[in-house]
Amino acid sequence: MDGRIIVITSGKGGVGKTTATASIGAALALQRKRVAVIDMDIGLRNLDVVMGLENRIIFNVVDAVKGKCKLKQAAIKDRRIDDLFLIPASQSDNKNVLSPKDMVQFGEKLRREFDFVLMDCPAGIERGFENSVAAADEAVVVCTPEVSSVRDADRVIGLLYARSITPKLVVNRIIPEMVEKGDMLSHVDMVDVLSIELVGLVPMDDHVLISTNTGIPLVLQKKSKAGEAFQRIAMRINGATDLPIEVPQSQDRFWKKIGSKLGLGK
Amino acid sequence: MRKVNQDRVPVRIKGMGDGLCVTLDPAQPLSHLQEELAIRFSQMKNLAVNARVIFDIGEKDGYEDLIEELGKFLRKTFGVGSVSRFLRDGPVSEEIIRKRDMENSWYHYQSDVLMLTGRVRSGQKVTARKHLLIMGDVNPGAEVLAGGDILIMGSLRGTAVAGQPDNDGMIVLALDFQPTQVQIGGFVAAGLPPSSKKLPEFAHVENGTIVVEDYLKADPFGRLPWPQVR
Repeated sequence: MDGRIIVITSGKGGVGKTTATASIGAALALQRKRVAVIDMDIGLRNLDVVMGLENRIIFNVVDAVKGKCKLKQAAIKDRRIDDLFLIPASQSDNKNVLSPKDMVQFGEKLRREFDFVLMDCPAGIERGFENSVAAADEAVVVCTPEVSSVRDADRVIGLLYARSITPKLVVNRIIPEMVEKGDMLSHVDMVDVLSIELVGLVPMDDHVLISTNTGIPLVLQKKSKAGEAFQRIAMRINGATDLPIEVPQSQDRFWKKIGSKLGLGK
Repeated sequence: MRKVNQDRVPVRIKGMGDGLCVTLDPAQPLSHLQEELAIRFSQMKNLAVNARVIFDIGEKDGYEDLIEELGKFLRKTFGVGSVSRFLRDGPVSEEIIRKRDMENSWYHYQSDVLMLTGRVRSGQKVTARKHLLIMGDVNPGAEVLAGGDILIMGSLRGTAVAGQPDNDGMIVLALDFQPTQVQIGGFVAAGLPPSSKKLPEFAHVENGTIVVEDYLKADPFGRLPWPQVR
């Protein structure tokens, strides 16, 4: 097997990298791909909590990279989705225990085992970022419609280009009502500044919080708009590049649209 | 070998454009000069073949015979191309400059402009010795620095520092002018009022402050009667 290693990064913290990793990973696994999601935030692990697997951790990514255990022992199978595996971060080490060189070697092993490997990159552009990016073939940059997030994403994109990785953009936490009023950056403006390929727009969704707390994957929740958006992103990553990008729209805009179709309103 | 004082070296050679500039002291005897030239030209070997040689004998007039003699010698022994005499720039008349400018004789002019295409992203820093021209955007968090003017053929949203270190006469121009900060020479303008007009605007120093104006309206160089090197 010759898998693809995709790093999910953002620069800024708290924009939804971990949620995106868990959701895209789950969605890809639902499309019958063997997927590993790796928490690279060594010392501050949380992907296991988001996926509801915290009580099954025996080995972690540091053990696997350092050869203290086999890759199969460190990869925890998901409770609900068969082809989804988690390699958790170590909570007791710090990011310096791994080096980019170690990660390149580890990446070779991962590529043989899985179709997709998603790396949940820590915030920042220091060692943790270097480690996550070292083995990656592709990158997804998660960005929220905030000026600070765009600035950091821009920096990260520059660094990724410097490593000859062409990143793709996911805009997370869009509130359509605010965008319409002009209180929030629109994805068009963001793509304008960042000028990279857009792979998906994810609206703000309360289901994300529920999913994070319960450990039930977002993509398994039927009514979650964010879940649907992540599913489409996964399909695009999995080759369906012509899938149109859906722009999140507010409810009243929807009714207005129907109204205008029927000839009501202006 | 005889030790010579650097200032008193009778013959010195340096590259000048596509030719060689030979500085020599014409007061020295011809045979001595030939000897010195031979030493230096034989070191250059093939470089000397067909080279354009220009003799610089300083401010002194005359010595045409000497130059002719040395030229003959170089042509014969080392196969150099042309030999001519370096002409000092005297007070060049206005008329000649005008003529040059009007006749578009810029073909041989070599520019100091750093011209780039693409996007300058946050965290990146572009430094130019003289003028800087970017065909692309400058994102917020990016820095562009230049010894001369900065021209952005796109939107400028980062920091632009022109006229480094102390040239106040420079401008910063962008087709979409929304910089975080502009510095020209020793002046800093932060917190420029946001203008989303998407007009080509430029910043320049006027009465000790940085002023931003519509480039097409102000047309700062439109009044110059003929093109000039900046």
